[in-house]
Amino acid sequence: MKRSFAERLLQIVLLIVTTLSSMPAQAVDYQRLVDADVRKFQAFFRKEFPQVKKDDFADGVYAIDPQARQQWKEVEEFPPYEPAIDEGKVLFNKPFANGKSLASCFSNGGAVRGNYPYFDEKRGEVVTLEMAINDCRVANGEKPLNGMKGDLAKISGYMTFISRGQAIHVQVRSAAAYKAYLKGKQFFYAKRGQLNMSCAGCHLQYAGRQLRSEIISPALGHTTHFPVFRLKWGEIGTLHRRYAGCNENIGAKPLEAQSEEYRDLEFFQTAMCNGLKFNGPASRK
Amino acid sequence: MKKLTSMLGLLLLLPSGALLAEPATTPSLIDQAEAARKEAAALKYEWRDTGTIITAAKDALAKGQKEESDRLASIALQQGRSAVAQAKYMEKNWKRMIPKQ
Repeated sequence: MKRSFAERLLQIVLLIVTTLSSMPAQAVDYQRLVDADVRKFQAFFRKEFPQVKKDDFADGVYAIDPQARQQWKEVEEFPPYEPAIDEGKVLFNKPFANGKSLASCFSNGGAVRGNYPYFDEKRGEVVTLEMAINDCRVANGEKPLNGMKGDLAKISGYMTFISRGQAIHVQVRSAAAYKAYLKGKQFFYAKRGQLNMSCAGCHLQYAGRQLRSEIISPALGHTTHFPVFRLKWGEIGTLHRRYAGCNENIGAKPLEAQSEEYRDLEFFQTAMCNGLKFNGPASRK
Repeated sequence: MKKLTSMLGLLLLLPSGALLAEPATTPSLIDQAEAARKEAAALKYEWRDTGTIITAAKDALAKGQKEESDRLASIALQQGRSAVAQAKYMEKNWKRMIPKQ
């Protein structure tokens, strides 16, 4: 007896479903998802600023403002952050009460900027360089340092200085890491505060436009050069201090330095800079 | 007759007593503002000035400036509620904020 076309079709469908369901579940390639985001993100800025070389985005706003770049280069001849680096070096090697020092926690003499931030699979959270410095202190019986400025920024500044030129290559290899990445991405694009503004609103959509007397910096390259010596601060400060300042400017209550939210944001933002090089510390207005 | 007069007097006093009592609106407005601020803070979406405005509302109340306290507490309450609404909206819609290329 001849089977109908419908019966044959049903048989084929069942066969396909059975075959697919018996196959092992394919692992999601999170890095591939992130890489796609990075390509789109960087393409946006390359299109927006075609005259800027990709590597120059690491110079922040000075990549897109030739006049300010000239002044900045002159400032960099006698960098205002130099004393902070010297102090950071002393603090990095200064023995704790137990005789150990920060140098005992970090490989390569502390030139490890390129390894941060990363997602620690065991801890299930993003670890930043500043967090790792404080973790080392706490593990050796010392108190954690202020996450915004002061000694922590100086130590981080020294470690960043001796790591200059290291490539940024944030990796997202697990579901947990991708979740943290997405939280950071959400923070970047979601509007907040009384002014209902987002990081992306200014530093992506309005990058290069005038905001009062200043030109808004592009988000591509934001995390390459921290900690920075800001003339406004008159001292060196961390990336999370800058995040807090930005949040305050838009009427949002700043979060704590090294809070999960700011670490996830740093994770996302640094991932978007993949392929650039760390060039901090730097001077900024 | 004397008893009836006294009872009538008491009945007349009751509503006026209620009017004379401290209005419960001001403290509750501050409490509501504080609750909204806390809810926004838990969502990591608290606005910058809400806490400061609540403190100012409390100070005004302590000085007996009820009207000013109410005004400030209302602003803080509005801010707290707006921040919570903002957080909830962004939680659902943040992907729509990504510009199309």
